[in-house]
Amino acid sequence: MQEDYINIILADDDADDRMFFTDAFEELKITTKVKTFNDGVELMDYLHTDDAVFPNVLFLDLNMPRKSGLECLTEIKQSDKFNDMAIAIYSTSASEEDIEKTFVMGANIYIKKPNDFKTLKKVLQEVITINWQYHTNGLNKDNFLLRL
Amino acid sequence: MPGRILKKSWLIKSIFFISAFIILLIGGITYRSINNLSQSSALLTQTYKLNVELEKIFIDLKDAETGQQGFIITNDPIYLRPYNVGRENINASFAALKELGSDNIPLQNDLKDLNSLIDTRMEYFERAFRYSSVGNYYDENFTVNFNKGKETMDTIDVKIHGMIDSQNELLQKRQQAYESNLKVTPMFLYMVLLLSLLLMFIAYTKIIRDLKKIKAVNEQLEIFKESTNQSQVISQHGNWILNVDEKTFEYSDNLYRLLGEEPQSFTASTTNFSNYVHPEDQEKFKKEMERLFKYNDLPFIYFRIVQKNGMVRHFKAFGKEYNNSEGKRKVLGTISDITGEIEHFKILEERNLELERNNRELSAFNYVASHDLQEPLRKIQTFLSRLEDKESANLSEVGLLYMTRIKNAASRMRMLIDDLLQFSRTNKADKSFELADMNVLLENAQQDLAEIITEENAIITAGKLPTIKLIPFQIQQLFSNLINNSLKYKSKNRNPEIQITYSKVKASEEPELVNAHKSYYHKITIKDNGIGFNNEYAENIFVLFNRLHNKDEYSGTGIGLSICKKIVENHQGFIFGSGTPDKGAVFTFFLPLS
Repeated sequence: MQEDYINIILADDDADDRMFFTDAFEELKITTKVKTFNDGVELMDYLHTDDAVFPNVLFLDLNMPRKSGLECLTEIKQSDKFNDMAIAIYSTSASEEDIEKTFVMGANIYIKKPNDFKTLKKVLQEVITINWQYHTNGLNKDNFLLRL
Repeated sequence: MPGRILKKSWLIKSIFFISAFIILLIGGITYRSINNLSQSSALLTQTYKLNVELEKIFIDLKDAETGQQGFIITNDPIYLRPYNVGRENINASFAALKELGSDNIPLQNDLKDLNSLIDTRMEYFERAFRYSSVGNYYDENFTVNFNKGKETMDTIDVKIHGMIDSQNELLQKRQQAYESNLKVTPMFLYMVLLLSLLLMFIAYTKIIRDLKKIKAVNEQLEIFKESTNQSQVISQHGNWILNVDEKTFEYSDNLYRLLGEEPQSFTASTTNFSNYVHPEDQEKFKKEMERLFKYNDLPFIYFRIVQKNGMVRHFKAFGKEYNNSEGKRKVLGTISDITGEIEHFKILEERNLELERNNRELSAFNYVASHDLQEPLRKIQTFLSRLEDKESANLSEVGLLYMTRIKNAASRMRMLIDDLLQFSRTNKADKSFELADMNVLLENAQQDLAEIITEENAIITAGKLPTIKLIPFQIQQLFSNLINNSLKYKSKNRNPEIQITYSKVKASEEPELVNAHKSYYHKITIKDNGIGFNNEYAENIFVLFNRLHNKDEYSGTGIGLSICKKIVENHQGFIFGSGTPDKGAVFTFFLPLS
């Protein structure tokens, strides 16, 4: 049953990060379907196909070749069909500038890539169990950046 | 100064006219009195002459009488001659008398009386002659006439002497008038002389004094002119004057020098000047000159000139109308060589560009540090945690030790990168000051450190802090770093206690604030009971990467306090640290009172 799965997509050009990401979900006791893409172009191509499965949460790396996370975010926010998709920014940097920009552009949460695997698991667990309806209503610049 | 001299010249003019008037007046009076004098002397002469003529008449009558008597006695005609001559003389004297006394009516009357008396006397003479014959003196008619003649003669005598007396009286009066005139006239002359001398003296002293003043003023002008020349050379500017009515120019010496020419080496004119104007600025210059001739005014204009040796200089010119004391219209102008200024400006601009470029590079470096450097490190750390989770069991004891060492090194590197980033982001340029409550900022800082504070059982007490204009997140960072520092360097023997106090102070009363540029400061002190430090190092602790302790003992990066210093300096403040080994440290920062 498709409904039982939480659909997750990650777009990240870094193979190691993609590996950590999928490993973490494998170790978490949550039934998820994780799809990864190597860059923004691949991601957007997929999302625009007719049989694309829209994820519950889309994890976007910011710094990617060809099409950056910001460009993907812009495109996604321009189209109504992605309205139900929660967007988590998943980046190495946590610069004020990036946080500010992605918040204004309509991302739902900002995650700074953690430094160890345990924390990563904790973060991902937290993110996919968020009640997005509730979170988005109370969203402001202070709780936009995920802190554990 | 010129105004004062002008006023004086007006004074001199009026003094001159007044004295000329007085001299003329006195001269007139003197002329009149001299005139009077000559008149009175003429009158005197007239009176004398009158008297003489009267005496002559009397003498002539006497002669005639004597002649008659002689003729009567001797009957000799020789005696008749005085009689005849006497008659003629009397007539001549009468004519003279009439003329002399023409303006004297009483005299005329007297003369008339005298004339009729003389006529009567003559008639008696005639009659006596008719009745006389030699030797016969007893003829009754002769005797009557002769006697009557004698009587008339007596009357004439009385009359003439009366007249002479009255003339003498007149003479005396006139003599008195003459004498008084004689006294007054020299006095007037003398007065004129004195007055003229006095006026001359006043005029002389005045002129001498003014001359001295003018000389002094001239000297000042000369000095002023010379210093103007010097200052023109030093400050690279020249003056020009446009005589509006004549449409001619005058240039100062230095203006020629600015053009690269010898002073006054060519006639000052627009045409000659425009030969030096840069070809690209010719049109602009021409327009400005037309404007100058039309409105007698030159706003600030900028143009370039080319000297004969090919050097291009930048000029700035300005002119304004000025009316001199004689009402001549002139435009006074200045030209200054601003090539240096412009070159400085260009250098400054280049430096600014370079600075901007540097800043851009620095922010690019920031990005590299924040992203690219962190990424491999993060991977190392994550892989390490994976290794630890999955492979710990397969590692020997030495392998486990090495792994711990690698982990420590990696986390230290992370700390360094984070601190460095924070340090490079702590700049003022793009951060705006806003009014913020420092109590709230301190509270936030404590919340950030809540974990470690609880862990260390630290007690933090704080007095009331002010609400001032600052960069809020930086001051929060400052509190955070300072508290963190105190906790990091706590004493092993006691729980950390941190006291934060505040007061408003006068810069002059704080010995540390020697370089203060404001009078009042907010003073905030953070005092702990940690390990303290030797005051020898009080200044070193703020230097980047400077550490007082081995990194194995204390985990500092040597950046935290440098960030504190940078933050305080961003706020035009000062920060100082002092310590007592094993007792504690005190950090004090001062923020200017706005």
